[in-house]
Amino acid sequence: MAGLNFSPGMRGQFAAIAQVRWQLFVNRLRTIRGRLEMVARGFMFLGFAAAGLAGALTLGWLAWLFVSRGHLPWLAILLWFVFLFWQLFPVMATAFGETVDSSSLLRFPLSFPSYFVVRLVYGALEPSTFLGSFWLLGLAIGIGAAQPGLFLWAAVVLLVFAMFNILLARMIFVWIERWLAQRRSREIIGVVFFIFFICFQFIGPLMSRIGRHEHPEISGITTQILPYERVLPPGLAAAAISRAVQGTFTPALAAFALECVYALAVLWLLNVRLRAQYHGEILGEAVARSTLPKEKRAIRLGWNVSGIPGPVAAILEKEFHYLSRSGPMLFTFVMPVVVLLVFRLGPQTSAKQGNFLAHASDFAFPIGAAYALLILTNLVYNCFGADAVGMQLFFVSPISFREILLGKNLAHALVLACEVIAVWIAVCFMFHPPTIDITLATVTGVGFALLLNLTVGNLLSIYTPKKIDYGAFGKQRASTTTVFASLGIQAAVFGLAAVTLLIARAFGSIWIAAVIFLILAGLAAIGYVMVLNRADHIALDRRDAILAELCRA
Amino acid sequence: MDAPAVATQGLTRRFGDLVAVQDVNLSVAPGQFFGFLGPNGAGKSTTIKMLTGLLAASSGSIQVLGLDLAKNSVEVKRQIGVVPEGMALFGRLTGAEYLNFVGRMYGLDRETAAKRTAELLDFMQLAEQPKTLVTDYSHGMQKKLALAAAVIHGPRILFLDEPFEGVDAIASGTLKAMLQRMISRGATIFLTSHVLEIVERLCSHLAIIHKGRLVAQGSLEELRAGVEAQAAAALAGTSGGSAGTVPGEKLTLEEIFLRIVGGTRRSDQELSWLG
Repeated sequence: MAGLNFSPGMRGQFAAIAQVRWQLFVNRLRTIRGRLEMVARGFMFLGFAAAGLAGALTLGWLAWLFVSRGHLPWLAILLWFVFLFWQLFPVMATAFGETVDSSSLLRFPLSFPSYFVVRLVYGALEPSTFLGSFWLLGLAIGIGAAQPGLFLWAAVVLLVFAMFNILLARMIFVWIERWLAQRRSREIIGVVFFIFFICFQFIGPLMSRIGRHEHPEISGITTQILPYERVLPPGLAAAAISRAVQGTFTPALAAFALECVYALAVLWLLNVRLRAQYHGEILGEAVARSTLPKEKRAIRLGWNVSGIPGPVAAILEKEFHYLSRSGPMLFTFVMPVVVLLVFRLGPQTSAKQGNFLAHASDFAFPIGAAYALLILTNLVYNCFGADAVGMQLFFVSPISFREILLGKNLAHALVLACEVIAVWIAVCFMFHPPTIDITLATVTGVGFALLLNLTVGNLLSIYTPKKIDYGAFGKQRASTTTVFASLGIQAAVFGLAAVTLLIARAFGSIWIAAVIFLILAGLAAIGYVMVLNRADHIALDRRDAILAELCRA
Repeated sequence: MDAPAVATQGLTRRFGDLVAVQDVNLSVAPGQFFGFLGPNGAGKSTTIKMLTGLLAASSGSIQVLGLDLAKNSVEVKRQIGVVPEGMALFGRLTGAEYLNFVGRMYGLDRETAAKRTAELLDFMQLAEQPKTLVTDYSHGMQKKLALAAAVIHGPRILFLDEPFEGVDAIASGTLKAMLQRMISRGATIFLTSHVLEIVERLCSHLAIIHKGRLVAQGSLEELRAGVEAQAAAALAGTSGGSAGTVPGEKLTLEEIFLRIVGGTRRSDQELSWLG
């Protein structure tokens, strides 16, 4: 990154890029759909603004409390929270983030520093950056309120911490994108994750053996972990501030310097990756083709699923090919189990301050299954998004949209079924096997929610499609209108589920919930069939808009 | 007498205030190699999209093989093959998976779809990259794959939107051989292309669209005769003027096209900064 000075030419390029983004934004408002998107984005912005403000106030107040009462080591907890949110939120909530593909800028005479800055700035334009920065500002103000003389120092330390987070998020993003772009590295990551997962399985039995008694060896482990925490960026930022509060400026400066070293190291790693892209790296697998043997290969027969018409089976097969080749999608599919793992590990920090699932592990299966459904909604609500220009084939081939949607819905239902089974198995290992009534209530509840989501998802997939790319991280975001409609449906589903559970509890039997969910699923199925039967008509009416969106470059 | 392979009456498409295609009456006989020409933005792609069901017509009717497209769309689609402007490819499938998929979408059984997939990949010289995803294909390979997909079900009419754009000479030869073989077996081909030399060599009949209106239709000889007659009339009407024809020399399709759409070449004063 040496030589990063903004010449008039570079400034002109930045201005041109910013102007073209602005023009794209304005042009989008020409259509009703674009204006609806704008309104939806406005609501989303308000939501994030509220979260940012609430978080900043809370963190600021906590920082003030810790500094004014001398609980300085606790500052690290706040910074770890911000750090984890900043890095995990973009992965866990892809629906809210959108990555602008700025790699196409490479055809212009853009210098590497310009390219780097553009990638960094556009990549950083996401809610986690906005919220994280706002929260850190709140922290700085809270610390400044407790010790006004240290406001400037805290602000500088937290500014570097913010820069570190922005760079780290970008660095992780581009490196994961690189690894997941090729089948072999994707498989290696899968194996690593699997081993990681297996290792976690030992935690449950281990902890159950330990029980709730005092165990000095655990305090020993905590004592051993703490020094490592202190040399990691959140710990260093906290140390830099707390040492300054205590008046020991040399260790504070040392911690700050180390924090800067981390930021520079991450900057270097990001620089390595972006430089490879800048020099024309191709993240495809086409390069491998010349090494393949030239002998004729037998063409594998398509899937044959008994009871399902050939075209529907073909759609089902195609969906599975697409999903199995999408690193980002595979990554999100394992998230329900990861979330359960997080919950499972949570109670071990304190015997008394256990998390929700530690006290009510019966809810582990319903929560895991609900999360699996939530992840799937991104697919269900924009099911044509990844087809892009392939959508033309659906309009020119002699197959009805009813069949196309059936094939896609079947694929999504099977993915959900696999996920729910995986969650059930994970719950058995991590907590205890869910009881039959809980299992049945959950399965019927998920069935109802799935049918309702598929019904609305099919409609929204036709009315507000958005071109997405399964192969790249951050490019699976549906339209903002769809995201809001999806949130509304989820709120309704969870509301109905809560009411159902309350009724079941009032009658003292969870079986009642299963029966109610079955009735609701029946009603949702009627709606589903009605929408399916109208799908052809709606899709043909909307074909101009659908193809205009999905076939755009 | 057989019904026309493709016939339109009063075909019109509006985009807001813009009339992209206006009152087009086309007639393509079965077995014809039909070229649909026009300058950029004339309405070629819009017309072909309406003929294949990718775009709704604002007014007018479309008959394909005697069937009304609006009323019998599934039956019509079963009998046509299409290479649209965007090629309709699924980027994250391999070539074999894509062809297999398309074959089954057109109702072929698994065995037939797999057999034809193997044959088409071999014919199009795409069989050597079985694991390569379509997104990693070159543009020319994608064109060949799109054409293979359009013919996998043995269509009676093939609609091709710029099939030779971005295709090298070898691939172009392969495509032309396949298209001519289809014509010899009685299929109808409707293509748009900017490569007038290829159209002149392949197509028996032509139509020219300009600013959304059909301005000429017929065999190449009929179009040539029309243009020459106009030139002769113009010559007779002006004293000492020239219509630009050399006696005894046939007009090429490019010359016919330019005369009909009134194209001029500007070369003198513009873009002096280009060096």
